[in-house]
Amino acid sequence: MSSIENLDDNKKISVLLVDDHPMVQSGLIACLNYYEDIQVLATCDNGKDALELVKKLKPDVIVMDVSMPNMNGIDATEIIKEQVPETHVLIFSMHESQEFVSSAIQAGATGYVLKDTSSEEVYFAIKSVVKGQTHFSSSIAKMLLENPIKMENQKLTTREQVVLSYVAQGFSSKEIARKLDISYRTIEAHRRNIKHKLSIDSLAELVRYAANHGLINK
Amino acid sequence: MKLPLRLLYIAVVQVIFTALVTYYLVTNEYHSLAEENVKALEGFLISQKQLELKSYTEIAMSSVSQLRKLFNKGDIDTQEATADILQSMLYNGDDGYFFVYDKKGKGIVHPKEPYRIGQYWLDLEDKNGQKVIQGLINSAQQENGYYKYSWNKPSENINVQKLAYAVYIDDWGWMLGTGVYLDDVYKQLSSIQNEINNHLNNTKQIILLVAISSIFFIFIFGIAINLSHKKTAEAQISKLGQKVIDIQEEENRHISRELHDGIIQILISIKYSLEATGLFMKKSGYEKPDTFIQAEENLTVAIQEVRRISHHMHPQILDELGLSSAIESITADFKKRTNIDVTVIKPDLRKLLPDFINTTLFRVVQESLTNIQKHANASNVIIDLSIQAKWLTLVIKDDGIGFDVAKPRSQDKAGIGLRNLTERVEYHKGSLSIESASKGTIITVKIPTTTFANHFNKSNLE
Repeated sequence: MSSIENLDDNKKISVLLVDDHPMVQSGLIACLNYYEDIQVLATCDNGKDALELVKKLKPDVIVMDVSMPNMNGIDATEIIKEQVPETHVLIFSMHESQEFVSSAIQAGATGYVLKDTSSEEVYFAIKSVVKGQTHFSSSIAKMLLENPIKMENQKLTTREQVVLSYVAQGFSSKEIARKLDISYRTIEAHRRNIKHKLSIDSLAELVRYAANHGLINK
Repeated sequence: MKLPLRLLYIAVVQVIFTALVTYYLVTNEYHSLAEENVKALEGFLISQKQLELKSYTEIAMSSVSQLRKLFNKGDIDTQEATADILQSMLYNGDDGYFFVYDKKGKGIVHPKEPYRIGQYWLDLEDKNGQKVIQGLINSAQQENGYYKYSWNKPSENINVQKLAYAVYIDDWGWMLGTGVYLDDVYKQLSSIQNEINNHLNNTKQIILLVAISSIFFIFIFGIAINLSHKKTAEAQISKLGQKVIDIQEEENRHISRELHDGIIQILISIKYSLEATGLFMKKSGYEKPDTFIQAEENLTVAIQEVRRISHHMHPQILDELGLSSAIESITADFKKRTNIDVTVIKPDLRKLLPDFINTTLFRVVQESLTNIQKHANASNVIIDLSIQAKWLTLVIKDDGIGFDVAKPRSQDKAGIGLRNLTERVEYHKGSLSIESASKGTIITVKIPTTTFANHFNKSNLE
């Protein structure tokens, strides 16, 4: 599949393609192969495997599907951005409702293209996000213009809820860091975000909140 | 349903039958028992009277024999003196007296009816045609002496049954007797008979009462059993219905997923293959033919169409992002479609709910929004999803014209939809209430938090 010619390797953009459908994978790769500054390093079909491959291959961009078994693309994005923050994530999905887009953005994705747009657009999107810019399919961009995402009243992310659950169960930040295989500082940052989002100051209140919402057994 | 009712009828028939048999047996038994008793009593009373009469007569006779010792035997004077004394011997007030007739029926002693003295009464008949004096004389001559007939009772001056005892004084040719009136005895007997009849009537009434109250209780129990049967049957039917709906939702979800993850992905892969072909042609210096472009366009339409169907069957967003995101998504479409403003208030957490609650609550929102669009004439809607200590609460509030909750638009699918949803919410141990007035409608769903406690951890913590 890699028919990349003539070009200097370090000028190419390395891409990890995560999609649970092999035919979509090969179709997109067939198209991307015509763009000489793109190199698809590897493919996988679920969020968990993506996490491992990102740590190993350190790609510039992940083209990430959303609906996948064994950790969806949004949850995977969040953990990838937490563990390998320099990776750019471009969501590549059939879903075009605002909720998906805002969840993806909240998780750390900087681009969102729909699967039924052209491969050319996917190419441009990859080029944009790797430069640190954002890229959205035109219908999504229009939607975001009409209803901008308000960052201040966001819900907790899945990852934050996991941390909240552990906190409420009585684990220390150090223990949670070990459990989730991330740094102590990241856990502390999560805790700050949780408290900020829920407008809660004390640990006791956090525990009660978690209990009320079914995050721990009462 | 049918069976208990039939059992009920059988029970009622049985009670009636038992009551009738009891009634018949008791009345019969009572009657024969009473008859026997009354007869025995009558016999006893009569024999008492007989003894009494005999002893009175013996007293009279002993006076007679004393007189005869004092006077000469066969002397006319002796007979006169004896008659005088007997004439004055009275007992028991007015009704106890002695009478004497000679063998030809001539009256000799009769203190109460003096006109009989000196006259002949051999052919005197009582009201039953009995030749009384003759009968008395015959009885006296035959040792036995007891004789029953009708006679005037002096104290009351009425004709009643009389039992007499008479002896025959051979040498004088006299019949000496005395009698008692039997009406007292019969009065006593009839009062006893009355009492027995009263008892019998009481017993009849008790049997009747027991039978009627038994039937009444059977009916009450029957109705109660029937009602509870009906209730359980209805609950079972409703449960079954909900199970069918659950299966249907699951099936829809499955097909929706198949379409979304299968067919659409294949179509997309075809699309990229076409694009790759297009890129190849461009690179090789060929122009894309019109049919090729047409194919690409048609493919895009096909993808959108399948997506629409898949989404309609089951919104994927519900599975991927959870209920509040799905509500946001559906209300965004609703706003665009209807120009009705919708405010969504939702919890800060996500993925707390298991699929069945997600789907049920989502359907409630969907149904409510459809109703609002069709009937409510509202301009503002608030959807408030919140979790407190014990309940997850979903409130859908509009400022429309409201409707009559008691009689939902029955021929309308909307009313039925809401009722079905109520059953469905109840099936998941929650409750759905509808308040509606001219100022708007509030639909409130409550689900106990116990139904989803720890769901997030089970699916997200390793």
